[in-house]
Amino acid sequence: MERRKFLQILGKGFFVSSFSGVFPTAAFGKTAFDYALEGQNFLQNGAYHKAIEVLLKAVEMDSESDWAYGLLGRSYRALHKEAEAVDAFRKAVRLNPEDVYSRMMIEMITQKPVPRLQKETEPLTPLEIKARKEEADILASLESDEELTYKVKRVVIDAGHGGFDSGAVGRNGLKEKDVTLDLARMLHQKIENEGKIKPFLTRTDDYYVPLSDRTTIANQFQADLFISIHVNASKNRSAQGSETYYCSETASNREAARVASLENSVLKYDEPIKAKEGYIDIEEILFRFEQRLNWKESGVFASTFQKRIEEKLPLKSRGVNAANFFVLRRARMPSILLEIGFISNSDDEFRLGQRTFRQRIVDSVAWGL
Amino acid sequence: MMDQRKRLSMIAMCMWIYMMFAACFFFMLQHYNAHAADINDIIFKGADYHYKGALDEAIASFQEAARLDPNNEFVHNQLGLLYAKKERNDDAFREFSTVVKIDRRNIFALLWIGILYLKQSNMDRAFETFHEITVIDPNNADAYYFIGSIYNFRRNPVKAIEYLKKARDADSDEADTHYRLGRAFHNVDMINNAYLEYNKAVELKPTYTKAINEIGWIYYNQGNYDAAISEWEKTLSINPKDEDAISNLARAYNEIAFLALSNENTAHAVAYWNKTLSIMPNNKAAQYYLKQYQK
Repeated sequence: MERRKFLQILGKGFFVSSFSGVFPTAAFGKTAFDYALEGQNFLQNGAYHKAIEVLLKAVEMDSESDWAYGLLGRSYRALHKEAEAVDAFRKAVRLNPEDVYSRMMIEMITQKPVPRLQKETEPLTPLEIKARKEEADILASLESDEELTYKVKRVVIDAGHGGFDSGAVGRNGLKEKDVTLDLARMLHQKIENEGKIKPFLTRTDDYYVPLSDRTTIANQFQADLFISIHVNASKNRSAQGSETYYCSETASNREAARVASLENSVLKYDEPIKAKEGYIDIEEILFRFEQRLNWKESGVFASTFQKRIEEKLPLKSRGVNAANFFVLRRARMPSILLEIGFISNSDDEFRLGQRTFRQRIVDSVAWGL
Repeated sequence: MMDQRKRLSMIAMCMWIYMMFAACFFFMLQHYNAHAADINDIIFKGADYHYKGALDEAIASFQEAARLDPNNEFVHNQLGLLYAKKERNDDAFREFSTVVKIDRRNIFALLWIGILYLKQSNMDRAFETFHEITVIDPNNADAYYFIGSIYNFRRNPVKAIEYLKKARDADSDEADTHYRLGRAFHNVDMINNAYLEYNKAVELKPTYTKAINEIGWIYYNQGNYDAAISEWEKTLSINPKDEDAISNLARAYNEIAFLALSNENTAHAVAYWNKTLSIMPNNKAAQYYLKQYQK
């Protein structure tokens, strides 16, 4: 407010005139302040072109003068040079965020389309030249459409457990970690052979991969889908069948909620600067939007896989459940967790030990993809 | 004589009418000027409150301005923005819609309508709105940015690249645009382009940890573990709680430990598992193998 009042006083004329008298502008030895003041006088007198001419000299001499940039913005605006005006006002605000007038001007002008300000292009660096060539080579080979349907080009297959963590163990000694590794490798091979989707594994052998690492690997490979393969177990030995889980904000039922409650803290947006009241964080809006889209898409994938497994395998369907799983939560892509059979059930354990049955599981999952 | 009197009275009457008209005109002009000055002061006061974070006072000022000038687009846009900041999304939507009814080409209002659709997870309406902006204003970096981001979320890297490049070309000073463009390039293995864009993001915003983390992955996937670790450590120096950097470092340290173990350099492996535990004390792999190999 103070600055505006100062400008209003300047606008009365006499202050400017007397000021100019005290500091006559000589032809040489002018400072940035002199030029800015001269520009202010021209602006007051409606000599906008002359104002711009001297104000450009002022900002060239002192690129930190928000005052000169503000005046430059006003001069451009008077000549309806909106792009130049916005550029100058933006510079003023960057230098002085409390410049209410310049900020208001930016918001007023940019309500309507503003022509693009032509900028000087700099010569390309060797890496930029390499990047241009890379883009031309790769982009031409990729297909695309305008649709907003979700596309899977990269999938990370996670074999549950491993190493010292055997997972559940059947009555006849079948270990969950061995079943999941075999299924994951077979699925990887099948997808790779089909050549449409690029598969990655979180582990390729019998070693332990921490939970946090599994989704980290999915993020590492910029995966579009994360499939975690597990085998279920229960104290109730008659429990059998397959079920598919996906990550969601809310659990689909009490049992799923109980499972999720073990790891129930919601993923936080981990930028160092937290959103504060009265401040809209566009990136956080986009982050939440992406997360909800991924969860929704995970539900679609989970239903599809469960349906395919139901159709192809002689396993009882236990349906699709939503829960906030740690292993799925940190993934930046739709992610599902397949529980294929109960290793604690003798029939399921027997089937899971069969190579042909495993192949049918792999075929169903690949079909789902 | 009569004629002269008549003429004089007619002149007097004309003069009186003229004076009345002039007085009315003067009064109207004064009133108009006073009104214009009033509303400008109110708007400026509202903007001042707004930028200083006094949202309630700003709302009160702009509501007053809206009463004086119901068709002032800037006033309604400011009200919309203030309501959005107060999480009063329905009120915000109403204000921005009012602006669009006054002038469909008000891209500021359209942009915020699109953002409010994003908040509602209404992807299709958000997309349509941003697309409409690009038709009105082919230089609108924000609309291109949102469209490109949506295509990124739908894993359509070709379209994401197309729109994010338009956003970058319209305004190259936005770190977020460079980061998301980097992600789109990264998604289709255009590593040189991804590297350039991530670096540009960091150049514009040195605390951009998400971009630093991705640069780390580029190094890591090229087998340059030291450079990758250096990037993630840089992130932790900016934000010691960055979950991604912690997980990435833990993965790298464990991987180096396993490589050392396979080369029978147990001491080196132990040192790296200890490093893992220093940043992630509950890392089961490091805990287990340290128990096995630490003497």
